[in-house]
Amino acid sequence: MSDTITLTLKVWRQRSADDAGHFEIYKAKDINVNMSFLEMLDVVNDTLTLNNQMPIAFDHDCREGICGSCGAMVNGVAHGPVSAVTLCQLHMRSFSDGDTIVIEPFRAKSLPIIQDLVIDRTAFDRIIAKGGYISVKTGSAPEANDTPIKKTNSDSAFDAAACIGCSACVAACPNASASLFVAAKVSHLALLPQGSTERKRVLNMVDQMDAEGFGGCSNAYQCEAACPKQIKVENIARMNREYTKQKLSR
Amino acid sequence: MKISTIQKKQIVGITGLAMVGFVLAHLSGNFLIFKGPEAFNAYAKFLHDLGGLLWVMRIGILGSFLLHIFFTIQLVIANKKARNARYYKYKNHRSSSSLATQLMPLTGTIIFIYIIFHLLDFTLAEKVGVIEGIDYGLFGLVVNVLGNPIHAAFYIIAMICVGLHMFHAFQSVFQTLGIMSERNQHQITMASQLLGIAITLGFSSIPVYILFNF
Repeated sequence: MSDTITLTLKVWRQRSADDAGHFEIYKAKDINVNMSFLEMLDVVNDTLTLNNQMPIAFDHDCREGICGSCGAMVNGVAHGPVSAVTLCQLHMRSFSDGDTIVIEPFRAKSLPIIQDLVIDRTAFDRIIAKGGYISVKTGSAPEANDTPIKKTNSDSAFDAAACIGCSACVAACPNASASLFVAAKVSHLALLPQGSTERKRVLNMVDQMDAEGFGGCSNAYQCEAACPKQIKVENIARMNREYTKQKLSR
Repeated sequence: MKISTIQKKQIVGITGLAMVGFVLAHLSGNFLIFKGPEAFNAYAKFLHDLGGLLWVMRIGILGSFLLHIFFTIQLVIANKKARNARYYKYKNHRSSSSLATQLMPLTGTIIFIYIIFHLLDFTLAEKVGVIEGIDYGLFGLVVNVLGNPIHAAFYIIAMICVGLHMFHAFQSVFQTLGIMSERNQHQITMASQLLGIAITLGFSSIPVYILFNF
C-alpha cells in the first residue's frame, strides 16, 4: 500500500448563515494516509489559500477527541466511517486512493450553519444553563472514599459524563433530536449524590430542548451508533424516567 | 398547559399499548373461527350482549386511536421541522432493527387505511354470510370476504404492516416510559419482535385457513 492517496472532495461551502450554500469539488492530492482528517483539510486549505480561494472553515480545538469542537458528516456518517472516534481522530488510512468523499456540516435547525462546516452549538449551552450543573460548592477534589457511591452508578455516571457535546447525536438523528445529549447530562448528574439534590433539572432541560426546536426521539438509536463517546441510549430511558418521576412529584 | 415532546411520546406509547391489548384480545377472539361457526358467532353475540360495557371499550379504543394519531402527527411535523435542510448523503447506521423503525410512518398509514375498510367490511356490514345456501351470519361474512384472494392478500399485507409496526413499537414504549434499562433491553426488544411476528402470523392464519378450507 502506498503511503499517499489522492482523493476527490465534495465539500459543502456556505459563506454565511444567510447564504444558500452549495457543494464544491476539490482534489486532495498526495495525502499521507497517516494524517488525520482535519490535517487533510489543513493541506487542502493551504492549496486553496495559495490559489487565493477561501479556505474551508471547520471547527477544531484539541485534535485528540476530547473537546467536542470538530465534526462533520463524512459520506453521510457523523464523524466519518470509523465508530467511536471524532473527526480529528479519523485517519486517512480509512480511505482508499481515488475515493470521493462527501463532506457536509451537521444539519439541524437548532444548530445553524455559521460558515461551511462550522455550526452554532449555543443551543446546547442554553440547555446546560437550564440545569446541567450543580449549585452546591464541592470544593477541591474530595477524599476518594468519603462519599460512598454504588459502583454501577459511578460507572454509568462516568460513561454519561464522557459526552463532549459534539452534537453528532443530533446530526445522525433522523429527527435532529438532542435527546442523547440531554440524557447524558441528566444521567451523569442524577446518578451522583452531588447532582441528585437538584433532580428537577430534567424538567427545565427538557423544556429548553423543546424550546430550541430539536425534534423528538423516535428510538431509531442512530445517535448511539454515531456517538464518538459511545453514550448509550439507556440514558434516554433514564431521562424519560427522571422526567416522569419529577413531573409526577411536583 | 404545554405538553412536552416526551409527554406526547408517552401518550402515543400508552395509547399504543392499549391498542396492542385490543389487538391481542381481537386475535384470540378471531381464533374461534377455527372452532366453527357456532363458537365464533356465540363469541360475537357475547360481545354484543355486553351492551354498555362494549361501548365503554369501543370509546376507549377509539379515543386511544385518535390520541395516538393526533400526537403522532404533531410529533412528525415537529421532527420534520427540526431538520430544515436535508443531507445530500445520509447513511443509516443500524441495519438490524431500522427497517421496521423507518417504516413506522408507512405501516401506520397503511394500518389507518386498512382499519376504515375493515370497519366497513365487518363491523358496520350486515352480518349475513351465505355459504352454499345457508346463512352463517358473521362467520359466513368473514369466510366470504376473506375467501376472496384479492381481499385476503390485502388483509395479509395489512397484517404484515401491523406486525412491522409492533416490531418496533412495543419495545419503543418501554424506552419512552423509562422502563428500559441495559439489564432488560435485550429481553424487551426480543419480546417486541416476537410480538410483531406472532401478530402477523396469527391474523394471517385466518385468511389462509379460509382459502384452503372453503
